[in-house]
Amino acid sequence: MNIQWIRQLNKRIFSGSYRSIRTKLLFCFLIVTLIPLLSLGALSYYQSAKIINSQFGKYGENAVAQLEQQTSSSLGRMKQMSETIYSYLLDPAHTDLRNQAPISYSEIIEKNDFEALLKSLRTDQTAGIYIITPSGYYYGENNLDVAKLRNMPEWKTKPASYKGLYWLGFYMQNHAMSSSGDSNLPVLGLAVPIHNSNGTQNGSTILIEENAQELIHMFKLFETDTKSHLTIKASDGRIVYESASNFTKKDSDITWIRTLAVNQWTIEARLPAKAFYLSSGIIRSNTIVVAIISCLLAFGFAYLFSSRFTARIRTLKDSMQKVSFGKLDTRMPIEGRDELGSLDMSFNRMVSGVQSLVQEVEQSERLKKEAELKAFHYQINPHLLFNTLNSIQWKARLEGADDIRQMLYHLTMVLEGNLDISQELITVGRELRMIEHFLKIQEIRYGNVFSYELNCEDSLKQYLIPRMTLQPLFENIFFHGFTDGIGVIKLDVIVEKNELLLALRDNGAGMTEEKRERLLVPDPKRRGRGGLGVQNADQKFKLHFGPQYGLTVFSTKGEGTAIVIHWPKEEERPDGYSKEN
Amino acid sequence: MKKRISHIVLATTLMVSILSACSGNAGTANPENGGSDQTKTLRFATWDTGDALKIEQDIAKKFEAEHPGTKVQVEAYADGFDQKLAAGFGAGNPPDVMYMWDFPTYHQSLEPLDSFAEKDKDLKIDDFYKGLFNYGKIDDKLYGIPAGFTTRVVYYNKKLFDAAGVPYPKDGWEWSDFQDIAKKLTDTSKKQYGFGARAENDTYDLQGFVWSNGGSFISPDGKTIEGYMNSKETAEAIQMFGDMVKDGTAVLTGGKGQQSGDDIFKGGKIAMWESGIWPLESFKQAGVDVGTVEIPAFPGKPVKGVLAESALSIAKDSKNKDLAWEFVKFYVSNESIKMRVADLPVRQSVVNELKKDQDPLYKPYYTMLERSDNTPAFLLNPKWNEVNRQLSAAVEAVMHGSNAQEALNQAVKDSERYLK
Repeated sequence: MNIQWIRQLNKRIFSGSYRSIRTKLLFCFLIVTLIPLLSLGALSYYQSAKIINSQFGKYGENAVAQLEQQTSSSLGRMKQMSETIYSYLLDPAHTDLRNQAPISYSEIIEKNDFEALLKSLRTDQTAGIYIITPSGYYYGENNLDVAKLRNMPEWKTKPASYKGLYWLGFYMQNHAMSSSGDSNLPVLGLAVPIHNSNGTQNGSTILIEENAQELIHMFKLFETDTKSHLTIKASDGRIVYESASNFTKKDSDITWIRTLAVNQWTIEARLPAKAFYLSSGIIRSNTIVVAIISCLLAFGFAYLFSSRFTARIRTLKDSMQKVSFGKLDTRMPIEGRDELGSLDMSFNRMVSGVQSLVQEVEQSERLKKEAELKAFHYQINPHLLFNTLNSIQWKARLEGADDIRQMLYHLTMVLEGNLDISQELITVGRELRMIEHFLKIQEIRYGNVFSYELNCEDSLKQYLIPRMTLQPLFENIFFHGFTDGIGVIKLDVIVEKNELLLALRDNGAGMTEEKRERLLVPDPKRRGRGGLGVQNADQKFKLHFGPQYGLTVFSTKGEGTAIVIHWPKEEERPDGYSKEN
Repeated sequence: MKKRISHIVLATTLMVSILSACSGNAGTANPENGGSDQTKTLRFATWDTGDALKIEQDIAKKFEAEHPGTKVQVEAYADGFDQKLAAGFGAGNPPDVMYMWDFPTYHQSLEPLDSFAEKDKDLKIDDFYKGLFNYGKIDDKLYGIPAGFTTRVVYYNKKLFDAAGVPYPKDGWEWSDFQDIAKKLTDTSKKQYGFGARAENDTYDLQGFVWSNGGSFISPDGKTIEGYMNSKETAEAIQMFGDMVKDGTAVLTGGKGQQSGDDIFKGGKIAMWESGIWPLESFKQAGVDVGTVEIPAFPGKPVKGVLAESALSIAKDSKNKDLAWEFVKFYVSNESIKMRVADLPVRQSVVNELKKDQDPLYKPYYTMLERSDNTPAFLLNPKWNEVNRQLSAAVEAVMHGSNAQEALNQAVKDSERYLK
């Protein structure tokens, strides 16, 4: 179940939303911000950590070197002091110095001189200079309790047969005569056994103690400063000084080691790697924190920006979707003058274009339907009509009314053309033939009082024209134009600019300008004769060939009317249907 | 002619301005004057340590409170007093005010105080014990104002006397009484001795005994030691202590591997101990039932004492001499003297007020004061420090069993060359 949940989540993140522009933008922003940010952070961390570590390393090195130097200078001073004393004691002039308490005046003078020398050797750092004889008598300041000294562990470690310098290390100077006199001063001790088989001081030991407070303070300072563990070892491995803190050695420790030239002591400062890298670690964690914060900020901003941005795209998308579902009155609010804004604008323009187109189509559809309905209304059973007309024709022949028979014949011909609704477009020739039948009827009716002049090349007769468009116009001429059918009718069909141009002129009554203007305007209220045929013809042309085609009426009251029609050339196709159908 | 004058004037003004600029610089560069003129720092050097030092610091604080804008920097030189002081004088950077006793050595670096003392009625110079001023005078010029002093008396442990059934010593006793008592109070099984003899005596302190026996270390004119330092009387007085060590009634103290006499006395292992006022407080604190008595007399001879005095001096190089004098005056005022319990008061009015001279424990110091009118050797000869080395060795040898006369003869022989 859990796995399924994860899979779902995965799906949502990596398939669903991953594809959305917002996610892409988000990722893009994040990548654009994070790559420089992270690389900058990493670089600055790397550089500063490197500098800090090297500086800290150098600092430690220098600090240890300083410790070494300070210790060396103390040790050197003590060593030099011991050498001075040693050489003084080896001088045969000072043989009066005895191995036990001096008693005589001269011995005491000698002792005083010697002690004056010891006093003169003292420096600010000197804590004690003594020459301890095997008898327990000693030279130097009177404050030494030899028994206490001999019990001191540092003194005890000194091998009896030791030759040369013996460094006692650091200890508390607690060998005063009275316990209240103990200074509790940390000192650095040097014992030099005197080996001089001829001299009176053979077997004595020079003890030089130097105030180690400052040194130890320095060690402590170093320890707290660098957090490192300090160990000073004598050349024989004896630990002379060690930091008080608990410490376990590790191989990863940073170590600074120095060996004192004076006595081969090694100063070893060990710093756990963790402590060493502490400062750079702080930088690292800070960098990480800053990086995380920046990431979150970047993510937040990217999210905000991209959601603002994609929200507009999404509304656009939604609007498009709505339009595709047919809601054509959808419009985009225009936010901003950027590319999206102009996109919105174009969208709106496009949709309103589509809408008006659709309205146009609807309008034409509606008109077509109306026309069809009208046609339906006008439809009379042609057979009944023709049979009846035939019967009347036969009756007229039997009666000998030949003119009636001829009228009926022509009427039948006109009706035949009129009622054949199988084809909307017919050839110009056929339409003209029908007009001739119509004119024959009028001729019988009025007599030979009007003239009809047709000017149409035969080649033009093959082009198509909407059915029953000319007949109503001719009818208008007879009903409105001519009085008692007297007048001249001229019909010209020519080709002009690849279009057909038909001009129908008469010298009839004409009409007022007002009437002419109203002629082609569809007016639902106007129901009556006159003009309907003209409108009908006009509509037919527009429906078949486009709104730019149709009729133009020129008329002058009392002088006649001219109707000009132009429409594209279209030939009848071999299958008998025009392109329109 | 006019031109020349104007040149001279110009040069002079230039010089003056340069000089004033220099002195201005020196003034600001000198850290002793402090960062501003408001706070002046006064350096005061002392050899005291411990409680005595604390008292001095308290006095300094009081002085600061009464003199706003003044900071007294107490410099405790302790054992290194002589070296540090000498170094300070040598470097021309001495403390303004310092403890002083060795006037023959240092007087050339000190400011003569006569004019200050005469001008200043507040000092009430007549209130001081007479004779204290003798120690601070070289060639009749006063270099130090006495701040404290002590004479030397014999301390005795009443408990040990009571235990042995020996009556307490009384003023007017003689050295034979002293030796008898010492013998009676010596119990080697308990490592208890009648007296403690210093292995390395300060010869200054021994002068009281020598004078009491009619001897001296040096001729009154300060030019001869032959016949004085090795006189029969001098040798006798010193031999007496050597003999006591030899016969076991006195124990050597303070030498190599030996506890100090003060410590042994505190430990109840010596019945009698000779010293100034310094250890009295610590004896009391250690719970020793202690009594004091004046120094015994040699038969038929008047008892003489020696005065240990601490005085306050002002360095010649001090830049704040007036302020330093104010501090000195404050230091020897009744108020300060009462605070300084480690020394005996130098003013009679304080002694009278506190009735110190009537307290049996303190009375011997004042009776000894009356007997301390001899001039110590170091004031008589500026080379005394050199002579003293031989004398000290001789005395030490006597304490270790040498013959006093022989040792002193040798010491005189070795020292003569310093006096020529």
